[in-house]
Amino acid sequence: MLGFLSARQAGLEDPLRLRRAESTRRVLGLELNKDRDVERIHCSGVNTLDIEPVEGRYMLSGGSDGVIVLYDLENSSRQPYYTCKAVCSVGRSHPDVHKYSVETVQWYPHDTGMFTSSSFDKTLKVWDTNTLQIADVFNFEETVYSHHMSPVATKHCLVAVGTRGPKVQLCDLKSGSCSHILQGHRQEILAVSWSPRYEYILATASADSRAKLWDVRRASGCLITLDQHNGKKSQAAESANTAHNGKVNGLCFTSDGLHLLTVGTDNRMRLWNSSNGENTLVNYGKVYNDSRKGLKFTVSSGCSSEFVFVPYGSTIAVYTIYSGEQITMLKGHYKSVDCCVFQSNFQELYSGSRDCNILAWVPSLCESVPDDDDERRQWQPTPMFLPHGWRSLVGYSP
Amino acid sequence: MSRKRHRLVPETFGLKRRRELGDVEADPLRGESVHVAVTRSLRPGSAREAVAEIVRLFPRVLFEDALPPIALRSQVYSLVPDRTVADRQLKALQEQGEIRIVQLGFDLDAQGIMFTEDYRTRVLKACDGRPYAAAVQKFLASVLPACGDLSFQQDQMTQTFGFRDPEITQLVKAGVLTVRDAGSWWLAVPGAGRFIKYFVKGRQAVLSMVRKAKYRELLLSELLGRRAPASVRLGLAYHVHDLIGAQLVDCVSTTSGTLLRLPET
Repeated sequence: MLGFLSARQAGLEDPLRLRRAESTRRVLGLELNKDRDVERIHCSGVNTLDIEPVEGRYMLSGGSDGVIVLYDLENSSRQPYYTCKAVCSVGRSHPDVHKYSVETVQWYPHDTGMFTSSSFDKTLKVWDTNTLQIADVFNFEETVYSHHMSPVATKHCLVAVGTRGPKVQLCDLKSGSCSHILQGHRQEILAVSWSPRYEYILATASADSRAKLWDVRRASGCLITLDQHNGKKSQAAESANTAHNGKVNGLCFTSDGLHLLTVGTDNRMRLWNSSNGENTLVNYGKVYNDSRKGLKFTVSSGCSSEFVFVPYGSTIAVYTIYSGEQITMLKGHYKSVDCCVFQSNFQELYSGSRDCNILAWVPSLCESVPDDDDERRQWQPTPMFLPHGWRSLVGYSP
Repeated sequence: MSRKRHRLVPETFGLKRRRELGDVEADPLRGESVHVAVTRSLRPGSAREAVAEIVRLFPRVLFEDALPPIALRSQVYSLVPDRTVADRQLKALQEQGEIRIVQLGFDLDAQGIMFTEDYRTRVLKACDGRPYAAAVQKFLASVLPACGDLSFQQDQMTQTFGFRDPEITQLVKAGVLTVRDAGSWWLAVPGAGRFIKYFVKGRQAVLSMVRKAKYRELLLSELLGRRAPASVRLGLAYHVHDLIGAQLVDCVSTTSGTLLRLPET
């Protein structure tokens, strides 16, 4: 660490290197911490979480009973022990609360004045955060599984909505109506995601085993259908052009938008090159997935080797994206985990599960507990008892 | 607690992970040679050595040497620690023509791997003196070296390689091709039906051995030391490699060795 700092100071190394090294070290030390808690408001499973991209301070959560809660994640007290309090919530007594389970919530990407929520009651509601009133409602014919608004869009305000029908609907927030429909899938759309790199590229995943990339400006059909065998029919056991051998449950672009991760009910996760739709054939092993609706997983950003956090039963599995190595399984929830989000400023992970809890996974810091101090002082000469990250960053070799 | 964290930091940070004591003792899957220094080198670093190791475990006597020794992809995963690297190496070997990969019918994921030489000699021996010998020899000579894929299409066979329909029917009768759907065929091993039957039964039997154990977990050394039930004909070690690689059991390293545990999910 001191080596990195002095190299940065002298201009020998890029400042980003120190930041990435420290972020990676912190992500590798994620664990449950007794000092960090999230207030328990939900009385039923937490289906979705979203942290606002502007400051990374406020988090929205949507539950199976239709309740939406807004948490403040920042620790403004000087104490190490901190509970993330709920600032406000759309409870069951609210006149405009969703009738059934809220499947996806998302902050408006450009500021925290607005957020959108979609639910099994066939609506997409646009909320004003300060007054907690509805600004607009979009009604659909089928239950809504997922929606997403582009995080980088400046020229359009389209929300892509995936419903139980095979058509992806694009709703325009400015005009208040559905602007167009993307046809191509054959069964329900379980996940949609805009690319964080190009504002017109959309990826959709459906229960018909296909994942498609669209350019919404194009009238005719999708750009690419992801094929797990990369076009080689000889390897395919079934019909080609399927991304998975089961339903495709979840989609996530990497933070630079160059790669796309998909998970499917065939217990596999695949990494695709998002520019040409090629399967990079990175093998993550068995990624257990029996979710009948979408699985919301997330990737880290700002680390030197990016990590993906996937809900795996009642644990969260952490893999390095480009090499497929499983780093660890984060155990802590009592029932199946439904969603997780990563806060990239502090390298924290928040996960919501069916046991109504939201857990905060915090990088473990080397705190000196009074008992350990004596041991540390005794063992100071032998370097192997220093935390590994520090040893490497100092450049000390035993 | 700090010891647990050490294992999480990857090698990119230039760390020498402290050798766990478990590495030093003999791996019971390898059976013999308990030498401390040698076990490190016995672990195959590459897919080729992994396939050779499994081929050694294959019981040739059971099939009277009529079947080429088949290894499964999951067994290679259990021996080579990094799956992506194993996949890439197997693909390279396939392109070089050293191994053939065959789709075993019972599972989408289960693919059989065997050395091309073994396959060729066994198939020639099997079709000796039969009416379809000529077609099979033509197939082995022209198609096998040219096309390394798992399956063949109708137009590929008729136009590129010049096979007529009666010849293709003879190949199917010989067991070298299996019908996949109209106009395409899988590459197959003649006489592999018995192997697949023993394999499926044996896999279920070994899995039930773990399932019946108390707490649904068994020490690897204890499992290998037990008497194999009658339905396990291919050998316990063969099946254990497959179970570990297919992630049908979780491998937990303990102070008494590796523990096989059924996953909760």
